[in-house]
Formats: sequence, structure tokens, C-alpha cells
Amino acid sequence: MTLHIVNQSPYRTSALRDCLDAMADGDALLLIEDGVYAAGAPTGIAPIPAGTYCLQADAVARGITPAKSITLIDDERWIALCVEHTPIVSWF
Amino acid sequence: MIFSLVVYSAPHAGESAATAVRFARALVDQGHRLYRVFFYGDGVHSGSALAAPPQDEQDLLGQWQALYREHGVDLVVCIAAAQRRGVLSQSEAQRLERPAANLAEGFELGGLGQLADATAHSDRIVTFGGSA
Amino acid sequence: MSQITLAICRHAPYGNALAREGLEAVLAAAAMDQTPDVLFTGDGIFQLLPDQAAGEIDQKSLHRNLQALPMFGVEQIYVCQRSLEERAVSSNRLAIAGINLVLVQDTGGLISRYQHVLSF
Repeated sequence: MTLHIVNQSPYRTSALRDCLDAMADGDALLLIEDGVYAAGAPTGIAPIPAGTYCLQADAVARGITPAKSITLIDDERWIALCVEHTPIVSWF
Repeated sequence: MIFSLVVYSAPHAGESAATAVRFARALVDQGHRLYRVFFYGDGVHSGSALAAPPQDEQDLLGQWQALYREHGVDLVVCIAAAQRRGVLSQSEAQRLERPAANLAEGFELGGLGQLADATAHSDRIVTFGGSA
Repeated sequence: MSQITLAICRHAPYGNALAREGLEAVLAAAAMDQTPDVLFTGDGIFQLLPDQAAGEIDQKSLHRNLQALPMFGVEQIYVCQRSLEERAVSSNRLAIAGINLVLVQDTGGLISRYQHVLSF
């Protein structure tokens, strides 16, 4: 199962949309850096799948409160996700 | 588990280079092996010894060098990408007849083969991409 | 021969250095007998357009790198069908001598077959 990592705002680039198009069943999605702007209110660009992860520090730093369906994680859990998944695909 | 990282983003250009070094630190702190960090594209600027950020900002160069000193992490700057962007070792500066060298201690120049080698010897590859 | 690495090229040529540097990385890996599979998706499909005249903007043609792929053992490339359709590019227009273009609908399924993905 693949871990997808998106670090771009969905309003700026197609990274999130391209990623969602390339997700298979059971894949995990992690939002980091400006990618966390997709974690707040529904974007109108693409629905974020349930079970999506968001790097908490990046969300807090930006004053973003992620939706309840999103799991907030720290770096340690991020590394665990990398261990649990292969391959790891970054969308930027 | 054996990890390698690929860094495309220039330091202080966005958050990505800072994320990469923080992730690298967390990996070794958790006991994973960091086989190599490969700096490519604008990421090669991470290896410039001339970066001098203000004291109240992150010292990314110092953080990479600490990983090298404390854990011997292999910090490889792609030589082709570095030549284009002006990150040169002493010998490269002489060979290319440039007035100065700026490759920081702890970093080495290497070919793209080092990236292929990292994929062959790592369980996981994590890419830290630019903002373009 | 089983490949463990997929290179995903999703940046347009000339406007982003990653397009060229991605192909250079693919060629370098292939030269070391670690030939990755290659997927062109998103704006990366623009790398495959014919009739590029990069000299007009004083750049080197990316097509030379593409044409070198078969010499290094890359005889087929994957191309995302949806990315072509979104950009109104017909797959008939894309042709690189010696390379078989394989249109992919299920990019997620393709990605899941690999140990490593390098994104360019």
C-alpha cells in the first residue's frame, strides 16, 4: 500500500488533485506543509478521503483546524507510516 | 529500517528543506538507518558553506552537518546539478576555473549513480520536493 | 527483469528544471543497470509533445534525452491517459522512436507495484 505525501496548497497547484487521481484502495494520504490547507473546510476542489493524515505542527503553525475525519500526527507517527507503507510518493 | 532521502528544495526558499532535515533527525533518533541524503535540483544549495541566515532563524546547514558529525550520514550533492548552480568543491572550482569553492564540510559531490545506488540499498525512499 | 523503481515525471519541460533533471536521473540509473520504469503524468506529458524547438529559448531539447532512453534499455514508457485527456493531447501525436507508449488508466494500481517511487 502506498503512502502519498502532498505539500502544496490545493489552491495553488494540481498536486493534491493529481495525487487523489492516483490513489488506490487502501492507500494513505498525508498532508504536510502548505498541503494542510486542504485539511480545513471542504476545498471545493476535491473531497479528502476519510482517514487522511495531517502533520499537526504544520496545521497548528498556519492556524488551520483540520476536519474531524482527519488524523493529526507528529513526525514519529509519520516515520511509522513510512515503515508501514511502500512505495512512498511525494506530490509537489 | 534503511531510509534514503532525496531533497529537491533549496534551503530557506520554502519549508521543504527544513522538513527534510527535521525528518532526517527524527529517523536517526528513532534508531533507523539513514543510508544517504541525496541533494538534487535546487536542493544542492543545501551544501553551500556560504549560507549565513540570521541568528534567530533555523541553521539548516548546521543541522545537516550535525547529522554528519554525530551519525556519519552520507550527504551527497549531485555534481551535475551543483555545477549548474554554483556549488563547487575545491577541486571542482580549480578544474572549472572558478574563483572560489563553497561545498560545506560534511557534504560530498557525487554522480546520479549515487541516487540509483540509494534506491538499491534502501528499504524506503522519501522525497522532499520543491515549491515550483 | 523486475524493476523496483518507478520514476514519475509530472513537470513540464523548460519551465521547470525537474523535467530535464528527472530524465537525466532515469538515464543515469539505466546506465547502472538499474533501469527504472517511467510514468509521464500531469504536465509531464508535455515533455512528449513533438515539434519542440527549445533552441528558440536557448535551451537544449529535452527530446534528445527522451530519444536516448531506448539506448539505455528503456523501451516502453507509461503515460497517464487522464492527463492527456485533461490537456486535450491526443496520444497519436506522441511518438518517440524506439519507445512503446503504454496508456495507463489506473495509475494508483501501477504505482502500487513498485518498491520505490522517485518523483520528478
